Amino acid sequence: MKYQRYIEEKLRESFTLWGYEEVRSPAIEYLETLSTDLGSELAQSMFKFQDFDGRMLALRPEMTTPVARMITTRMFSTPEPIRLFYISNVFRYSRSYVERGREFWQAGVELIGRDGDRADGEVISLLASSLKGLGLNEVRLDLGHAGLFKEVQKSARLDPEKERVFRTLIGRRDQLELQKFMSKNDFPSDLKKLILELCEVRKLREAASALDRRSGFRKAKRFTKALSAVADVLSDYHLEDKVYFDFSLTRRIEYYTGIVFEASVPEFGFSIGGGGRYDDLLWKLSEIRTPAVGFAIEIEKCLQALQSQRSKLSTLPDDIVRVLVSSTSNERAVETVSLLRESGVVAMADLVDRTGKKLIECGKLARMNYVVIVESDAKKPLVIYDVRSGLKKRLSVKSLLREVCRSRD
Amino acid sequence: MKGKIRIAVPNKGRLKQPIIDILRRSGVKILQRERVYDCETSNSRFRVSFMRAFDIPLYVQYGAADVGFTGHDIIVERDADVLELLDVGFGRCNLVVAVPKNSRIRTIEDITEVPRVATEYPNTSRKFFASKGKQVEILTVRGATELAPMLGLAEIIVDVSTTGETLAKNNLRQVAVVLESSCRFVCNKIAYRTFEREVRELIDRLKAREG
Repeated sequence: MKYQRYIEEKLRESFTLWGYEEVRSPAIEYLETLSTDLGSELAQSMFKFQDFDGRMLALRPEMTTPVARMITTRMFSTPEPIRLFYISNVFRYSRSYVERGREFWQAGVELIGRDGDRADGEVISLLASSLKGLGLNEVRLDLGHAGLFKEVQKSARLDPEKERVFRTLIGRRDQLELQKFMSKNDFPSDLKKLILELCEVRKLREAASALDRRSGFRKAKRFTKALSAVADVLSDYHLEDKVYFDFSLTRRIEYYTGIVFEASVPEFGFSIGGGGRYDDLLWKLSEIRTPAVGFAIEIEKCLQALQSQRSKLSTLPDDIVRVLVSSTSNERAVETVSLLRESGVVAMADLVDRTGKKLIECGKLARMNYVVIVESDAKKPLVIYDVRSGLKKRLSVKSLLREVCRSRD
Repeated sequence: MKGKIRIAVPNKGRLKQPIIDILRRSGVKILQRERVYDCETSNSRFRVSFMRAFDIPLYVQYGAADVGFTGHDIIVERDADVLELLDVGFGRCNLVVAVPKNSRIRTIEDITEVPRVATEYPNTSRKFFASKGKQVEILTVRGATELAPMLGLAEIIVDVSTTGETLAKNNLRQVAVVLESSCRFVCNKIAYRTFEREVRELIDRLKAREG
């Protein structure tokens, strides 16, 4: 728990420094709201149930839609851009072979009311910066565009079912199968070449130039040009070496309309966060036309990624000093723990009247740094055991405070 | 500094030897085993781990192995989110629905009651029958599926068939193909980003030596 808390606090610190404000939303919303443009995979994974009047409710499976809903219902007079963040639990039901938890935690931001390369660049840089702030090394960002695939393959005139197969093939990255599929479906040879090229290039500017060398593809060119512009902004943030183009990236959520992105580290087999631009979602929820971009980080995945990078997590939040106080007089014990707490030391009164070996043993098990025995006579000095070294001292309360504070710093 | 790329290879079964051979011809010769499951190779960039073919999609999805070889049928059954980079060409087989030779069932359409289906592929089977609008009771077995109808455990089986010989020997008849399969070269999604160049080079060599 303390590691999760550490990650949450670090992320909260990063988001706050960039001017984002924390919001909270209810875990239960109307199913209809939560399903807006979500895509079938996530929509099917929602826990659904009925309200007393028969309306369908669900537990939120992600946070972007709830935050967007809050903006349309409660924040429509807030001047734009609105910068918000959340650290929340989300719920998903999975019938997959792998038994995953049904509840997990996400931390994310939404930047509402601005479009364009600078807004995209800010959010992507914040993703990189907050992951770096956690102590993750070699964070890599893969970028794509939600509309690019559809635009590029349009001239092949596939029916929806074939288009789905084609998208799966691109996602699978099997080039041989991809070529076979394109030949079988009479793709013009230049389109074939373009698609294979887009599957292979990893720089945003190369993707743009692959399209620029060809005639047509007016809309697709606009998309890749926009991606190149974001690449320029990202180099202002010194991220140019971390950013890659991925034609196949879709994020499997339908509300994305523009850039999509994902963050990963080489030692961990899953992406740890990602997001994209969703300029139509607020319109669909409330007919307020407002562009927006955001991301979500998965807190458990961050922790696992940190562990697989063998980050020194154990030394991170654990340098607090813990003291156990025991006394035959409860009044004296309470007096001593209060003094310790006032100086910022974690102190607990032993709830049973124990002394000697048993007490020390108990202190060890409870990961105490010191065990203190207070005599009922206020004039007598305290007996202090340093649990790690096993040394025993007799000190006054003042000297105890000095000793404990020194060991903390 | 990037670590070595770990290749998962089945530790037994019909795919094992062809995979070892094609890897050797592609410049990744498996050297003597250090421990039972884990080997160095002649190529300093790769290590090989032997494991059950059925577990390979899982190891690769979680990045415990970076790449691996296993059957398409197993990837589908495991519902694994991995990149299938190459159809390696060998290990072709079908996942089929079969019934005893004297069964009145000739096609899937003939299923009327709720029959019992014995299979090592419960997920794929459930989806298949559901897509045909047929209700069945799925019984998961761990091998020797052909035995189930003989002993009356199930009326139908879903199992892998290469030539149909085993089916015939056990007095079974194929009524439908659920899935066509072959050996695939798979990769973890993040490992592909990290090792794209090396993985693509290996694929080019595998392609040139497809058997």
